[in-house]
Amino acid sequence: MIHVPSPDAFAVFGIRRTLDLDERELEQRYLKLSRDCHPDHNRSRDTDDCVAVLQRSAEINDAWKVLRDPWRRARALLEAESEGVLDRNKKLDPMFLADALELAEEVAFADADKKQQLTDKLKAALAKDYEALRRDVAAGDYDAAAKRVHEAHYHQKALQDLGAKA
Amino acid sequence: MTDAAKQQDGDGGRLVIGIDLGTTNSLAAIRAGKDPHILRDKDADPLTPSMVCFHPDGRTLVGEAARQQRLVHPDRTVFSVKRLIGRSASESEKDMRELPYPIVAGDRDLPRIRVGEHEHSPEAISAMVLRELKATAEKALGQPVHEAVVTVPAWFDDAQRQATKDAAQLAGLECLRILNEPTAAALAYGLGGKNDGTVLVYDLGGGTFDVSILRIQDGVFRVLATAGDTHLGGDDFDQLLVQRILQTLPTRAGAEDPFVLQAVRSAAEGLKKRLSDEREATLELDLGERGDVALKVTRAEFEGAIAPLVQRTLDCVKSAVKDAELTLADIDDVVLVGGSTRIPMVRARLEALTGKAPHTDVDPDLAVALGAAIQADVLAGNDRSLLLLDVIPLSLGIETLGGTVQKLILRNSTIPTSVSEEFSTGVDDQTAVDLTIYQGERELAQDCRRLGHFKLRGIPPLPAGLPRIKVTFLVDADGVLRVTAREQRTGVEASIQIVPTFGLTRDEVRRMMLDSIENAQQDYVAREAIEARSKAEAMVRGTNKALQMAELPPDQTFAVHKAVKALQKLLDQGADTAALKAASDDLTKVTATIADDVISSAVTKALKEEQQP
Repeated sequence: MIHVPSPDAFAVFGIRRTLDLDERELEQRYLKLSRDCHPDHNRSRDTDDCVAVLQRSAEINDAWKVLRDPWRRARALLEAESEGVLDRNKKLDPMFLADALELAEEVAFADADKKQQLTDKLKAALAKDYEALRRDVAAGDYDAAAKRVHEAHYHQKALQDLGAKA
Repeated sequence: MTDAAKQQDGDGGRLVIGIDLGTTNSLAAIRAGKDPHILRDKDADPLTPSMVCFHPDGRTLVGEAARQQRLVHPDRTVFSVKRLIGRSASESEKDMRELPYPIVAGDRDLPRIRVGEHEHSPEAISAMVLRELKATAEKALGQPVHEAVVTVPAWFDDAQRQATKDAAQLAGLECLRILNEPTAAALAYGLGGKNDGTVLVYDLGGGTFDVSILRIQDGVFRVLATAGDTHLGGDDFDQLLVQRILQTLPTRAGAEDPFVLQAVRSAAEGLKKRLSDEREATLELDLGERGDVALKVTRAEFEGAIAPLVQRTLDCVKSAVKDAELTLADIDDVVLVGGSTRIPMVRARLEALTGKAPHTDVDPDLAVALGAAIQADVLAGNDRSLLLLDVIPLSLGIETLGGTVQKLILRNSTIPTSVSEEFSTGVDDQTAVDLTIYQGERELAQDCRRLGHFKLRGIPPLPAGLPRIKVTFLVDADGVLRVTAREQRTGVEASIQIVPTFGLTRDEVRRMMLDSIENAQQDYVAREAIEARSKAEAMVRGTNKALQMAELPPDQTFAVHKAVKALQKLLDQGADTAALKAASDDLTKVTATIADDVISSAVTKALKEEQQP
């Protein structure tokens, strides 16, 4: 089973491809598109047409899910700019991986006091990751940007594991 | 689509009703103008019990009439089928034991309700309740109804939703939308923009529990997350009291006796209701030769018994808030829906958790039906200002090698939503591929619900691995899955044969529809009767009005009076369609022959006004 990539979320929303989107504007855009395309307001007796309406509405919902999340938005942007770039840059720096492993261990053994400290540290790391990503994208270096996305994934995962700890 | 085309499609002015098909009670509503209202018989209780009694004399009684028979014919009075619909007999094992009427495992392990010689599917029973609601609505509206929005618990899975749609179809209703109950309640609560904000809907009904978190903003009702339990509700609270009462019986035989079981169930329900108002309640139950029950239960005892169940609902609330990526402090308002939210402990515990006094302006019994009527109005094309964005409650996935489930669509995704995957073949010249769809959150297929089996056929014979079959899984606005497949190299559309694990196959629905042609005939007769009656009533009113307005010679006045009186008398007697039609025709003749056409034009005018509310 191979996942078939969804259509370019930026194209579905009819907006320029950029990392930094105004969240309010994006939400307004989503609600407007939904009002225009939702099957509730586009009922038709013709079945084929009905599927087309559903498909369009599904694309809008799915694109919204991608665009509202900064990291998913970044992935979509990179894929749209350079197809397959995320797959091509999966190999990360061994130094980084060693650090990531250490971090995962810290998370696994964190007590309540340490938990808050680690959370702050990870959030700061993610903010830094995004800063670097922004620079790479601005410079048009999509390979470097893809590596940032993969690295950030380790930080996100650690943060998630931390949150799951009771 | 152009605006003009959209307007054509909008097709305004259709009559679509909203139906709350509950475990215990059902009701229908309509929105005409700004606010929705409940459709009911004059002065009758707005709630129709979701009960069907197959009386030994051959009559099928539905609603209140059936409820009155439940102690007389406990083994022939069917209720709470919402607990069975879209499920297998093995899954319903606990319900089969607790419900006083006999349920057996039929074909494909589907539960069948056995009454005398006959067996009924849960869908067929629900269809009878829906038919009754349809008739009530038609009587109240004075015109036939063909389309409806039907509500289901948000936590209902694909099979339960599909089964509910089938029930509507069997009842002669086109189900324009399956709507989630808490979402419907939110519509009733948030209509008119008076309650914009983030709202938590806590819906504890007779058999099911749902919690949904919505953001309401400028007419857009967006569900952020939902959680629940399709087997947690007032019935389960009753059941705890039933166990308590059965323990006081001298013999264990009572638990097997449908009469005892039903009498005890009704008594338990009454006891529960009284404990919402009183600190303690006593029960004295005379079961004739089967013994007597005398029991005192305090509210504290009852609360102690239901506490674990109430805690389960609170756990769902917490998980929904988390899934919505919010904290409890972000909730602006808490809305209560469902009869079981009348229990003081439920309110107190929810208030303690959320820190907010629940909102009580919306009647917890009526909110869902009123909301369904609002959505019905939107689908009829009458209101473009409202928009509902709902979510799928449980993840959908596909079985992969090793019995694990690969998630395709995650829970709480806004619907419609779709995902495409590409599949290939394992052996040369393979022309069919099997896919098994599961719904649930667990990793292993055996822990999820197997929804059904899709067989892709018509794949062109090619060496193994060469065909590229793109399969699109689309969840529509009802939360129901649709699957399409296409071979990418040849563009051949693969045909899909669906074998649902639960509920009825398309063939079974078709056959049941054919069986009900006889019923359809009855439907037609009923509709004709309603139409004849409302026309006659309008004529009487119109003629009386015209008589007051027009100056007529005494002999003509007398003739008209006589004809009107004759028609009125037939109406009062509840005469049949033919008699009403004949008398209406007589009245038309009399008014038509009058030289002065003032009166007939006045009648025509009055009639027209009547028909255009």
